[in-house]
Amino acid sequence: MEFLSNYFNFRIVGQYTDVFIEGVLTTLVLAGICLVLSIFFGIFVALMRMSSNPFVWRTAAAYIQIIRSTPLLIQIYLIYYGLPFLIGNFFGEEATAIIALTIHSTPYMAEIIRAGIASIDRGQSEGAMSVGMNKMQNMFYIVLPQALANVVPPMLGQTAVLIKDTSLFSIIAVFELMGAGLRMYSETVIATESYVTTAVCYLLIYMMMLVFSNIVQKQLGGGAWQTAH
Amino acid sequence: MDSIIEKYQLFIDLLPLLMTGLWMTFKVSMFAIIIGSLLGFFLGILRTLNNKIITNIIGLYLHIFRGTPYLVQLYLIYFVLPSFDVEFLKFDSFTAAIVSLSLYTSSYVTEIVTAAINAVPKGQSEGARSVGMSKIQSLYHIVVPQALKLSIPPMSGVYVIIIKSTALLSVIGISELTRQGENAILRLPGNLMFIYFVIALMYFIYCYPVLRFSAWAEKRYGSIGVDPE
Repeated sequence: MEFLSNYFNFRIVGQYTDVFIEGVLTTLVLAGICLVLSIFFGIFVALMRMSSNPFVWRTAAAYIQIIRSTPLLIQIYLIYYGLPFLIGNFFGEEATAIIALTIHSTPYMAEIIRAGIASIDRGQSEGAMSVGMNKMQNMFYIVLPQALANVVPPMLGQTAVLIKDTSLFSIIAVFELMGAGLRMYSETVIATESYVTTAVCYLLIYMMMLVFSNIVQKQLGGGAWQTAH
Repeated sequence: MDSIIEKYQLFIDLLPLLMTGLWMTFKVSMFAIIIGSLLGFFLGILRTLNNKIITNIIGLYLHIFRGTPYLVQLYLIYFVLPSFDVEFLKFDSFTAAIVSLSLYTSSYVTEIVTAAINAVPKGQSEGARSVGMSKIQSLYHIVVPQALKLSIPPMSGVYVIIIKSTALLSVIGISELTRQGENAILRLPGNLMFIYFVIALMYFIYCYPVLRFSAWAEKRYGSIGVDPE
């Protein structure tokens, strides 16, 4: 124990428990809001991407490609400095960060949802059409519910990425888990305890995600569903 | 019209500075991609040898690197490792950047190589064994060449992630593209948005061909169900 405490001072970490708990909760809340928003917009971008109108699908494709080939950091900077230019200093830092991360993760969600929609058998749509549903009803009552259920595993993977991406918020001074580590470092100037604790907190969140996704994979649809995918 | 000429002039003035940044980004990402791929390739093959201890150790390694944000890993390697008082671990910022980025790359590559090797039909290695090849020979002559082909599409997806991650190196003072852009902004604060747009465009020019190549390769060589993004 003597040896260990030379390298890692638990007492100082203990003093910062509240900060880290707050950081974990803020990270989860911010990531949760971004997740819900990006799934919501992702459905629309996926539908736009699958549209037969060339203007619509090319717009969606351009959006997806541009976001996927530029770093999140640059996107955050552009939104953070650009939004006040466009609509004035209306949002706080948290809202700006949420907007930036939502814009960033929507294309990834859209691609996942598009794969899910493509995986639904054509007979489903044809059946829906033949009982008199229109295109909209077919999409929202028949195809999308099945598609979303199919893409839960990759979506959970994307959620894990989303949670990790919130660490960049610390650069634009939004307090979250990484921010908690940086605050501890700036107050105590001991790098090891501050950053190792941050990493351990992220790993705990990641493990929770792993356990959760295992449960989901076991529960969702049972064995037949798993063999089909 | 005047403003366009003015912006063009500004762009020409900034180009040398930003190009040095882009070159640095290219250099760091190439180092990381080459070292990380070799390490990941090695670990990926080790993981398929079905030794329980080795598999578990590599699994732990993967969880640690996949479960924490790259920003945290960067801080750990740049700020925490020097506090262990080992001369070898006191990296300068360039070494720290390459070490952390290579380890991060290897965590993705390991997973891909494992999946690719498992995706090669079992009959291939059984056939190789039955004509008298040793385990190593069958890996080297039969399985790995086929696995490499399968791993091309997801691998290029990983390289895009790595290139985008180099933007974070600006926080430890590597003078790569983002950092050089920030330097330019310090000199010309009025053109902040324009400069960030130019940086985003440069990242786009670097990443987009790789992304397109990944999509093309997936059509050509097929998917093995590992989507790094």
